[in-house]
Amino acid sequence: MSNPTNEPRGIAGHGAFFQPTDLSPEQAEKATEWVRKQVDRRTVDLGERMDDVRDHMWELEKDGEIIVHRITDAHKPVIVKTLFGWDKKIPTSQLWHHKSCGQCGNIPGYPTSLLWTMNGLGMVPGKDYLDETDQTSCTAWNYHGSGIGNVESLAAVFLRNFHQAYVSGKRLGHDAGHFFPLVHCATSFGNYKEIRKYLVESAPLRERVKKILAKLGRLVDGKIVIPEEVVHYSDWVHVMRNDIASKLQKIDVSNMRVTVHMACHYSKMVHEDAIYDPEVLGGNRAATGTGIAQALGAQVIDYSTWYDCCGFGFRHIISEREFTRSFTIDRKIKVAREEANADMMLGIDTGCVTTMDKNQWIGKAHEQSYTMPIMADIQFAALACGADPLKIVQLQWHASPCEDVVEKMGISWADAKKRFEAYLEEVKAGKIEYLYDPKLAASAAA
Amino acid sequence: MATYAEMVEIYEDIKSDFRYDHELNGCLNCGICTATCPSAQFYDYSPREIVQLLWTENVEQIYDAMQEKIWACAQCMTCAARCPFKNSPGGLVAIMREVAIKHGMQSAKDVLRPFGRVMLKLITTGNQLSPDMIQPDHFPDWGPNIQKVSGDLKILRKAIPMKTLQTTDTAWEVSLKTSVEMYTIWEMTGVLKQLETMDENLYDVIEDFIEEKREEYADWLEEQEDNKEDA
Ligand code: SF4
Ligand code: SF4
Repeated sequence: MSNPTNEPRGIAGHGAFFQPTDLSPEQAEKATEWVRKQVDRRTVDLGERMDDVRDHMWELEKDGEIIVHRITDAHKPVIVKTLFGWDKKIPTSQLWHHKSCGQCGNIPGYPTSLLWTMNGLGMVPGKDYLDETDQTSCTAWNYHGSGIGNVESLAAVFLRNFHQAYVSGKRLGHDAGHFFPLVHCATSFGNYKEIRKYLVESAPLRERVKKILAKLGRLVDGKIVIPEEVVHYSDWVHVMRNDIASKLQKIDVSNMRVTVHMACHYSKMVHEDAIYDPEVLGGNRAATGTGIAQALGAQVIDYSTWYDCCGFGFRHIISEREFTRSFTIDRKIKVAREEANADMMLGIDTGCVTTMDKNQWIGKAHEQSYTMPIMADIQFAALACGADPLKIVQLQWHASPCEDVVEKMGISWADAKKRFEAYLEEVKAGKIEYLYDPKLAASAAA
Repeated sequence: MATYAEMVEIYEDIKSDFRYDHELNGCLNCGICTATCPSAQFYDYSPREIVQLLWTENVEQIYDAMQEKIWACAQCMTCAARCPFKNSPGGLVAIMREVAIKHGMQSAKDVLRPFGRVMLKLITTGNQLSPDMIQPDHFPDWGPNIQKVSGDLKILRKAIPMKTLQTTDTAWEVSLKTSVEMYTIWEMTGVLKQLETMDENLYDVIEDFIEEKREEYADWLEEQEDNKEDA
């Protein structure tokens, strides 16, 4: 590109003083080759500069400063490896469902598929897992979107919710620590890990939030409770993937072409804690989501923009939707359609599934008519295990053409829809089916 | 337009956040952060530029960037995962946003106006989002078929087989005690103060709401006491 007038001129996104490089396509290719290689591999190993916050957490516990909510044998943990080869303990039983507001509000098939799968594996509600009303959002969507909130408020919310998880078993006759939190949302997951780090590192922060927790009556022996691990639901799905496939799978999905979108707040925020598995994508990329798709026997198809964000943007999905939809169509939907010719895109998070699912129709206005069914890994798994597409997987809330996936799996969408509409009549008459005894949900007062 | 002294004060506020030293460790000016940044592809925004401004303590341009640029960031933290210096440009932006709010900057007020509904929901219920906020008329760009089965929202929510999810005005049922605990957190951490600076009307609505809920909870507690005495 020439600039005959020699006017100072910037490139969008690079600051006013940046100029075009005027490289030929070949030169540009060469110049960016190194960056692409870096992005594609686990070469971000920062070696000894990376500290494992859990080491400091154990020291604080030894000094009597905090209580660590431990993962015991009763939680039936499975050990996995994270980005730098560190161990992470994933509890597989006695789980406290820490729900996601975006999932529950918008993609309810996410948590229902998860609980349905747990039931299928023989987990007993009230003993092996608990879903209750005494919990709040992590408030991090709001924080990352608006800047309202602060480390202290995020920390107090984190400790309040996790304290509740710690004591939640009491009313059912279990010991403290019986239920271990399983965090459904990747933003909550990333945020809680970040906040745990700050809490472990900063004594003044601990002091300040301790005062708040004391006022709420949420200290144990005068101490704050910090979880041994922060565990995402996709971590659980990942370590249970072979059990899910071998014990529950009913439908052959080897004809399904699957692309996976890895959530930024799972793999890029406190990235040292994300699961990497040598058996999944050569251990080069975070393993969750892809691992379950492979275990079910689906064809996992790679695509060039796998590393990109979905365009959610926290505030952008609300108030700068042009960005959100342009990014998601250009960098995700279009690529998964044209390059990978996929049957679906699986997500492991709330914002990504919402963004990619809801922002396809608008593409028509820009002559970008690309469609791609979007759902969560666990929804796909539940379908493969024979769950009802509407009653359990709740695909009726999705805007993208998820019925195509259902049909390709050999299930009649029309029949399922008819069954569901008949069920709605029963619901109206008060005949509701539950995944667990609804009395278990009423945790706290009022 | 702020005076130079005010700009210095704003910069000092950013720098004194205890996360600052975590998030900024130097800068190679390599641009890896910008190369992987989704917002850099759409806006006149560059995480590298933000980091450079802070690193070189360019208080005037920092102030400028806080007028608009910092709100372009999508907070995906791709930059943080890639930076060879272990910086977090996205984390620095989060600090700058907080400071913009603290100083009541007009840019922050403008940007946050459409966020009022989420804020109201969050502060009063402890939930950030609810099914009744995601109705087709709020999101015409999501298309006419954002749901595959139409019907009364209440009934459709009742057909979700989890008791906690059978709600319409919160994402899940949040107990009153839980919400009341949240109010204490908001108060004690200065979040209500932030809100007051940003949007006084919204703050007033929220204050009234909180008061009402607290009374409701106090009544409920009293009722429990009475029941105990009767028993
Ligand atoms: S990646 Fe890090 S070192 Fe490179 S320009 Fe960005 S902030 Fe600076
Ligand atoms: S966090 Fe912000 S600055 Fe960093 S890559 Fe994402 S959008 Fe860009």
